[in-house]
Amino acid sequence: MNNKSVLLNRRTFLQGTGVALALPWLETFAVGSQANDATPKRFVSVYHPDGVGLPLKTDPAWEDWSWFPRGGEADFKLTKVLDVLEPLRSDITIYSGLSHPAARSVHGHSNADQYLTGAPVGGEGSYRNSISLDQAYAEHAGDFTRHSSLVMSTNGGVGGPRGAQTQSFNREGRPIPAMNRPKQIFDMLFVTSGKDAAEKLARSKRALDLLVENTRSLNRQLSTRDQETLRQYLDAVRDTELKLAKAQRWIDTPVPQVDTQNLHLDAEPKEARLYFQTMYELIYLAFLSDSTRAATFQLGRENGEGPHDLLSLAVGLNGAHGLTHEVKKPDGWKNLGTYNRYQAEEFGRFAQRLKDTPEPTGKGNMLDNTLAMHGSASSSFHLSRNYPIISAGGKNLGFNNGRYLKFGKGNEDNQAGAGIDTDAGWTGKIEVEELPLAKLFVTILQRLGVETDAFGGSTGTLSRV
Amino acid sequence: MKTLTITMLLLLGSACTILAVDGQEPPVTLETAKVQGRDKSRFLKASRETAKAIDAVPKADVAFFQESVGPILKKSCLACHGPEKSEGRLRIDQLDPDLLTGPDVERWREVFNALSKSEMPPEDAADYKLADADRGRIVDWLSGELNTASVVRRSRQAHSSFRRLTKYEYNYALQDLLGLPYSLASTLPPETASEDGFKNSSELLQMSVMQFESYREIGLKALKRATVIGERPQPVTYFISMQEEMNKAVAKGDAKEPDKNKKPAKRPRNQQQLLNRETGESVPFVAGKTMPRTVPSPDHGVSGQPTSSIASTPAAPPGSGVLVLPRSNELKLDLDRFLPDEGDMRVRIRAGRSTMKPDEYASLRLIFSAHTSNNANFSNVVSERDIPVTASADAPQDIDFNIPLGDIQRNPFRKLTTEFPRRDEFLHIHNVSNAHGGEDPLQVFIETIEITAPFYEQWPPKTHTDIFFESNNKGDEQIYGREVLSRFLRRVWRRPVSDQEVDQFIGLFAKYRPGFATFEEAMVEVLATALATPEFLYLTQRVGTDETQSTARISDLEFASRLSVFLWSSIPDDELLQLAEKGTLREPEVLTAQLKRMLADPRSRRFSQNFVEQWLGLDRMNSVTHVTDSSLREAMLEEPVAFFDEVLRQNHSIMDFIHSDYAMLNERLAAHYGIPKVYGPHFRKVAITPQTNRGGVLTSAAIMTMNSDGKDSHPLKRGVWILKRVLDDPPPPPPPNVPEVDLTDPEILKMTLKERIANHRSKPACISCHAKIDPWGIAFENYDALGAFRTHVKNVPVDASSELFNHQTLAGMDGLKRYLLADRQDQFARAIVHKLSAYALGRPLSFGDRADIDDLTGEFRRREDKLEDLIHLIVSSHLFNSK
Repeated sequence: MNNKSVLLNRRTFLQGTGVALALPWLETFAVGSQANDATPKRFVSVYHPDGVGLPLKTDPAWEDWSWFPRGGEADFKLTKVLDVLEPLRSDITIYSGLSHPAARSVHGHSNADQYLTGAPVGGEGSYRNSISLDQAYAEHAGDFTRHSSLVMSTNGGVGGPRGAQTQSFNREGRPIPAMNRPKQIFDMLFVTSGKDAAEKLARSKRALDLLVENTRSLNRQLSTRDQETLRQYLDAVRDTELKLAKAQRWIDTPVPQVDTQNLHLDAEPKEARLYFQTMYELIYLAFLSDSTRAATFQLGRENGEGPHDLLSLAVGLNGAHGLTHEVKKPDGWKNLGTYNRYQAEEFGRFAQRLKDTPEPTGKGNMLDNTLAMHGSASSSFHLSRNYPIISAGGKNLGFNNGRYLKFGKGNEDNQAGAGIDTDAGWTGKIEVEELPLAKLFVTILQRLGVETDAFGGSTGTLSRV
Repeated sequence: MKTLTITMLLLLGSACTILAVDGQEPPVTLETAKVQGRDKSRFLKASRETAKAIDAVPKADVAFFQESVGPILKKSCLACHGPEKSEGRLRIDQLDPDLLTGPDVERWREVFNALSKSEMPPEDAADYKLADADRGRIVDWLSGELNTASVVRRSRQAHSSFRRLTKYEYNYALQDLLGLPYSLASTLPPETASEDGFKNSSELLQMSVMQFESYREIGLKALKRATVIGERPQPVTYFISMQEEMNKAVAKGDAKEPDKNKKPAKRPRNQQQLLNRETGESVPFVAGKTMPRTVPSPDHGVSGQPTSSIASTPAAPPGSGVLVLPRSNELKLDLDRFLPDEGDMRVRIRAGRSTMKPDEYASLRLIFSAHTSNNANFSNVVSERDIPVTASADAPQDIDFNIPLGDIQRNPFRKLTTEFPRRDEFLHIHNVSNAHGGEDPLQVFIETIEITAPFYEQWPPKTHTDIFFESNNKGDEQIYGREVLSRFLRRVWRRPVSDQEVDQFIGLFAKYRPGFATFEEAMVEVLATALATPEFLYLTQRVGTDETQSTARISDLEFASRLSVFLWSSIPDDELLQLAEKGTLREPEVLTAQLKRMLADPRSRRFSQNFVEQWLGLDRMNSVTHVTDSSLREAMLEEPVAFFDEVLRQNHSIMDFIHSDYAMLNERLAAHYGIPKVYGPHFRKVAITPQTNRGGVLTSAAIMTMNSDGKDSHPLKRGVWILKRVLDDPPPPPPPNVPEVDLTDPEILKMTLKERIANHRSKPACISCHAKIDPWGIAFENYDALGAFRTHVKNVPVDASSELFNHQTLAGMDGLKRYLLADRQDQFARAIVHKLSAYALGRPLSFGDRADIDDLTGEFRRREDKLEDLIHLIVSSHLFNSK
């Protein structure tokens, strides 16, 4: 939004409401437009289906293979599942006691759709989603970069309702297709020719020229007062022209050259390690070249089957989804924990890479200007409560890391729903108190510079973060 | 006749006498109150000046300040907010007591807030303590003056009717222009309602980049839907004959032979089955996978499916096999994965009723679903409305649904080459019915089902030929292009188009043409640009360049647009345009005939819908969560609209909105109101007795429901609602941070609702506003949070009697209605005139409009408050014809 339209909107707003209401609003309008900060603020969310291992305390596996850390906010101890993140201890925060209220009694397999949106998508019948966190940020920051967001998943596309294969949903709640082939993603980011786009742009420019001319001739036949009203239309056309000019600049600007040595663009999910690392590397390169500032990456779809099930091959285990069903078999908790540990390891490697790279604009390292989230919409078996969430980085955005933050009441040792491997879990009564995850999203949005105090039907931020 | 008149006069006379002698006599009927109340009308009195004087521009009440408020302020406030100390930089002695014209409204608002919350004077300043009565006096005066000031400031400003179309108007305009029946504009942001509740109010209809870009996208998408390219696509067709299914089942040996010795066995009442209507033979039936009879050309990528060269409707084998679909049952068809991505799916169901009892109905609804993997499923209703089955099974009817496949949720996996996630799509045919138990409940007998997609009534479709019509010049793109553009632009701009204007667009076409394979594709892009021009999106009113034309009056063409947007929420049709071009549209006989035609057109239903929704504020039902039955919710929303529609169509008096001896009901709502013998989902007029405690719109379930707190009635909301929406006398907004009633206080919990309100009101700062609002709301106490009538709450009898500010006693709803009819007819009539005029003009009314509204109201009252007459009056009024 440019300043002119802000001013105009304010003026017409005043006309509409009468002077009495105007004063308190002035402030709100004044803050609205934010200049492009030289140092980019970035957001990435990684989603993994099927939750994590959560054995009962009485189970011998509890000691090593329960996902959540032990201890207090600062002196927490990581179990074997997350100990790979120990070197990044001062750069991460681990959360417990958060979930989306509307999903708490819905089967975990239906819930990947709402992890970043908080929408009450339910378990059956008609379906409606709402905007996801990354897209809410992309609406704000998308104009600064060539791509407003980067949406990736192992399975690609949109999936089906309650079986999403993308984490990103637009303002109308429609899914945004995820890309899953490294080669395709690379080409989109760093090879694009833009011929089609250029033609479409040229057409749009001609249409706008005509509209401006047409509007001028109408304008001459209106009263002064009505001309004022029509000016809003003309401003909208002009602002669209500016957007086109910006898009044209991107077409004219050569795509960035990047170091491709860590990329294996033909990697497929069955080559789990190579695939995983290449996908993370693509996000890293997109951030480094400031091609986008918002990204999502979904590791497969809920309920396994498909490429994602192959990812556990990286640690020599079969069928990632099956691991959650087999926790009561010999080494069951250990196997699930090992796979979760591997996910954390790759996330850590990505975070470390950002940390090791100085911010191109010179302000700290890249991790300090990036908030990276990693999580799932279920903890224990099919149970959409107490989401296991890690965030890394964001120091310059105001995130104070090196902490284990417990929210809610009655589940301080993360034993609610622990040890289950049947549907008695997700159908069971809600006995402990949790806070809406969307409160954390509001905090994140605010620190990324988005003026809002509500998200996904929830208002206010999360204290202590 | 003579006798009757005399009797009536006698009756009236005696009623008046009784009232005059003793107010305690049994009250007159509401119908009599209507007649008597009419006699009191100022508008009907000989001197029309009296009526106007009442509605003169309000003035500041400075006298009361000088006499009462000023001295109190001086005593309690001046020490800290005067010449000695001016704490908070407030000099109470220097504030201008004229809030209407003076500069200190904002400072007075702060004073009001501090006093009404008892923040001032400070508790420790015992010397300056403010007595309750004094505080009440100041707060009372201030709240009144602040409210008047805000009304005055708002009304002093004149507003233009130049505005863009609202979201819904734009949608209808596009639908009517292109002949597309579906909703097209759902991606536009919603509109904000004005103080009057209207969404078409010029001062609030803004334009933004996002909005502008949406218009461009929506316009192009709609044009691409209306037009086609190339050869007629070969459709996918499915055909299911129940006789055929029956033959298959019998061949498999599933059929149960009826016992020859007995009467044919009764068919199960609640179970779907195949039935031979002649023999009574029946077979349980679950539809399996249904394969298309024809599939499109091989490039569709589907092979190995049964194909047939017949594209026409296949014939069902002879026989009398039907599928029996009992109430609430559905037939679920697995259509596999062959439906195309775009185009209409036409579902034709040949069906009839098993019995013709008038108290039972059955209708069909379509649901579309997929179950892609465990817990990843959806099912959505895709038919816009249920279609009733009215024919008998002996002479079945064809029921047609058209479903736009590109608009509904599809199975995203349908094109996978692997089998998981599952690729099938399902169509459910659901029987929505009230069939009761009993011996022989109504069932739907289905003979055949035919599914065709994409379905085209003709090729190219009419929507295409309306734009790309036949012409001898089709061979010359330049000439034909001009023809297409001239015709299209005339409809889009609602006026004749000059050659130079067409030149502009032809120029654009010339630039686009090389980028496209066909004339049509390039032209569609050009037409989309026309749909983004301000003359399509806005309702224009040009400054007359023509000297002969009055500068204040809108042109005939602008009048045609204003009229069609008023009554159709859309652009004028060809007939209106032609009359406007000829300059005869506003000739009285022509106009009267056109109004009749417009109101008889189904598009006028949009007027009832949109006006009533906004007038009564029915949007608030969207945030109501305690109505869990969706058919009840729909019926609630429909009732006031149907009622208005009835009053309009019958040209009844608008006093029917206050009370009527009929109601507009369907079965669901009638059941909710406890009114028996109303069957079926459609709304119709039902005569009611006073014992039903209904009549008019005040007690509609929707209004009671949205003005509740989700559990119980909410007298305050109801009071505010009636003042604002019905009497056009909105109370001042509440001061900020009003404390909630403390429901943890055991003393308060013990009180009845009315006592609680009284307790709250007893605070001096609250009483002035609440005394004006609460009594109105309390009169509604017999209606609960869903609008059901009640006489007791938790075993305590409901006390719905209240006393208005002017000491008028209201005995519940009956009393309220009687009071409105007897004493407030003028106010209500003027409110309706005001609301309808503001809606018709698409702008807030100002002081300058008062005289016009008064004149209109007078004329309206003389025409016995008839609603259709009012439409005619407004349309012919000076207001409606002015810029």
